[in-house]
Amino acid sequence: MTKDSSNGLHQGVRGYARECKDGKLSRREFLTRATALGVAAPAAYGLLGLAAPQATAQTAQMGGSMRIQMAIKAQRDPRTWDWSELSNVCRGWLEYLVSYERDGTVQPVLLESWEANADATAYTLKIRPGVTWNNGDPFTASDVAHNIERWCDASVEGNSMAGRMSALSEDGKLRDGAVEVVDDLTVQLNLSRPDIAIIVNMTDYPAAVVHPSFTGDDPIAEPIGTGPYRPVSYDTGIGAVIERNPDHTWWNEGNGAYLDRVEFIDLGTDPAAWIAAAEGGEIDLTYQTTGDFIDIFEAIGMPSSQAITANTLAVRFNQESAPYDNVNVRRALQMAVNNALVLELGYNELGVVAENHHVCPIHPEYAELPAPTVDPARAAEMIAEAGLADHEFELISIDDTWQAASCDSVAAQIRGAGINIKRTILPGATFWNDWLNYPFSSTEWAHRPLGVQVLDLAYRSGVAWNESAFSDSEFDTLLDQASGITNADERRDVMKRLQEIMQEEGVAIIPFWRSIYRNLRPNILNAEMHPSFEIRYQHYALS
Amino acid sequence: MLFFLARRIGVMLVTAFCLTFVVFYLTNIPAKLETLAKTQAGSRISDAEVASWLDRNGYNQPMLVRYGEWLGVARGWTHAADDGAQSGRCYILSGTTEPGAAPARCGLIQGYWGNSTRFRAPVSEVIGARLGATGMLMLWVLIVMVPMALVVGVLAGMREGSRTDRTLSTFAIASTATPEYVSGVVFIALLASSTVGLSPLLVSWGWIEGPVLFQGNARSALDNITFWNFALPVMTVALYGMGYVARITRASMTEVMTQQYVRTARLKGVSFPNIVLRHALRNALIAPFTVIMLQIPWLLNGVVIVEVLFSYPGFGWTLFEAAANNDIELLLAASVVAVLVVLITQLISDIGYVYLNPRIRVT
Repeated sequence: MTKDSSNGLHQGVRGYARECKDGKLSRREFLTRATALGVAAPAAYGLLGLAAPQATAQTAQMGGSMRIQMAIKAQRDPRTWDWSELSNVCRGWLEYLVSYERDGTVQPVLLESWEANADATAYTLKIRPGVTWNNGDPFTASDVAHNIERWCDASVEGNSMAGRMSALSEDGKLRDGAVEVVDDLTVQLNLSRPDIAIIVNMTDYPAAVVHPSFTGDDPIAEPIGTGPYRPVSYDTGIGAVIERNPDHTWWNEGNGAYLDRVEFIDLGTDPAAWIAAAEGGEIDLTYQTTGDFIDIFEAIGMPSSQAITANTLAVRFNQESAPYDNVNVRRALQMAVNNALVLELGYNELGVVAENHHVCPIHPEYAELPAPTVDPARAAEMIAEAGLADHEFELISIDDTWQAASCDSVAAQIRGAGINIKRTILPGATFWNDWLNYPFSSTEWAHRPLGVQVLDLAYRSGVAWNESAFSDSEFDTLLDQASGITNADERRDVMKRLQEIMQEEGVAIIPFWRSIYRNLRPNILNAEMHPSFEIRYQHYALS
Repeated sequence: MLFFLARRIGVMLVTAFCLTFVVFYLTNIPAKLETLAKTQAGSRISDAEVASWLDRNGYNQPMLVRYGEWLGVARGWTHAADDGAQSGRCYILSGTTEPGAAPARCGLIQGYWGNSTRFRAPVSEVIGARLGATGMLMLWVLIVMVPMALVVGVLAGMREGSRTDRTLSTFAIASTATPEYVSGVVFIALLASSTVGLSPLLVSWGWIEGPVLFQGNARSALDNITFWNFALPVMTVALYGMGYVARITRASMTEVMTQQYVRTARLKGVSFPNIVLRHALRNALIAPFTVIMLQIPWLLNGVVIVEVLFSYPGFGWTLFEAAANNDIELLLAASVVAVLVVLITQLISDIGYVYLNPRIRVT
């Protein structure tokens, strides 16, 4: 452990604080990095000479109920969750080791604290004392070890935690010695390679902590968890009802669990039906509102709440299919597209323009690069040089409003450059069947707290979600290197090169980072939009 | 009569058999099975994971064998896990994992309708609950639609070409020519919006308490039907069917009113209301009766749009969800139910004729 001996701070954190004060680092970036390295959020704010923001709990009332519009999908094993909606229902009883906050910090939940060593290859997790499961069992280090073992099991179809825990696993299973239970309240993680993302990965929605007795596919039937709520009913496609659990003392008693009852209502995918329900007083909060509906909800007395995120649309080429195996074709198509126009026409300018690489300015390690060149004339020339002047390109997208509109705008600009292109829009049911293999298509990517995370999931050679079939040994090596650098400027140097490689190789048109919105009644507290669509109703309250 | 019933039931079985086979074939083409695997095991799983999922869940056998499993004539698939626990169609349906504890066959013949993959529940439960919801909707639609249609049709048809006839006919044609997805949206905009239509006016006059007059979403009607949450879906369906039935009634009525016996009655000096109610009405009701019976299966299967529009989870909504998620066994059960309802209502209308017109015999 390399720690500052005087007050137990990780040595990198003081550096970050200096950078932040010098203006080299935004406050949000500082908070993400410092808390990922085990500094408690109030202390992190303190290093900047600020007081941590106080929750608005003072005015929260005990009691009441809330109705939330959200899709209710068939439940399954938490580690295989592929929609945050699945996790949101269970958040009242299945809690997480750590949580990602709106301000970019990572906060302890079932952990009390954690510490990394200097090169981020060993972590010590301190478990919060006094936590019990709602069946009376104490929550201990062996429960944490059990969950990490579950996450590492790649033989379970759709277990996306396995990829996030790759530094702890071997041959699709937990590596021997990767997790050590030191005592009842301490767990030591020994990583096979440096990984600064391992703790933030535990904030992701499939990382819900389940009881050792949990098996199978249904977290509703036997709702053993540590949280203050329990499910009453769960009807796929219709709704779910949650109530406060009267037989369980929550470790965080007094700081939440205000509502008596929470009801999730699935109103289908048409926002017009949500409006009708809101007008009739049947819902108080939306899961997510997009496009023109944000204004409509505001007009009927439900203000919106915004979260700035690294959510984006990757309009990517699959490098295994011709003609996208030619880097000049990819770069030409990128060059034909002005990303600012895509943001304007595709997403009503509700976001920030991106630069054709998958690292967002709000990521702590983002390196600023010159804006990509837009030159439609040169693009047409390059396509002609590749012998594709008469070729008809095809851009495929899902039939979702803003995704289809953004792709329409991309295709219109390519067409405007004099290149033949046609648009194909597929319904959601068929689109996902083949999303990894379309030659040229768009995929929505969710927000992740660190820049290295998406690169690891989507652009490392041969990983499961590598839809662009991008394979570059320099990129992989640099990514490994970046994943072990705790110092800001050093990692940014590596990141800069990673971002440049993505641009040089023309991996994808990444046009913008979109902000996300939800609408809620003005008397609801603590329910601001979360960058990862989390609905932590255990903290929601009525005023 | 018995022979007639037996023949009808025979036709019903053959129709159900053919229809379910077509549905089974269409839901079991390989691309559809891949969709199913992805909705079940994760939308972003790899091809190898899809193959392994299909294998573990018994979807890798020939289609005819699997259809036989569903019918209950072929043995259900089984799959032994590494730890000795048995899994398989019959093990899942009878809820056991002990080898040998489950029956060999478990299909329709044995009384197993299977499990819905979309709703993760037995098909019989899902269909039962959803049919109940649609039943309530249909009941109220019929209560509103039938009397309204008959009154409009009889009033229009008793004096052909009169001003009343033209006014009511225009109304009937307009209502039946407006599809539900148009009238439903118009109703919502007019009556269930706090910013446009009637509601803001009523609020400013202080006539209503809440922000809207009617609720544009019928989800709450699932637990508690009120006039305010159920009026719009009922009116949307009823208005469309009403115009059609009214037109048939009017045509039938005008024809009866030209009959010799009606003229004789008038010449005898019977009062006009008496002629309409006592002499003409019963004969004029035969044609509308058939049409009303035909409306019942149409209501059952045709409420998809209205149920989705008003988020009312009934049978139509279930069909939509099952089709969108390739829920094989739910779709099969829904088609069996649809065939049953069509043929049973036909049977009732055939028998009902006898009572309306003694000249017709069921043989």
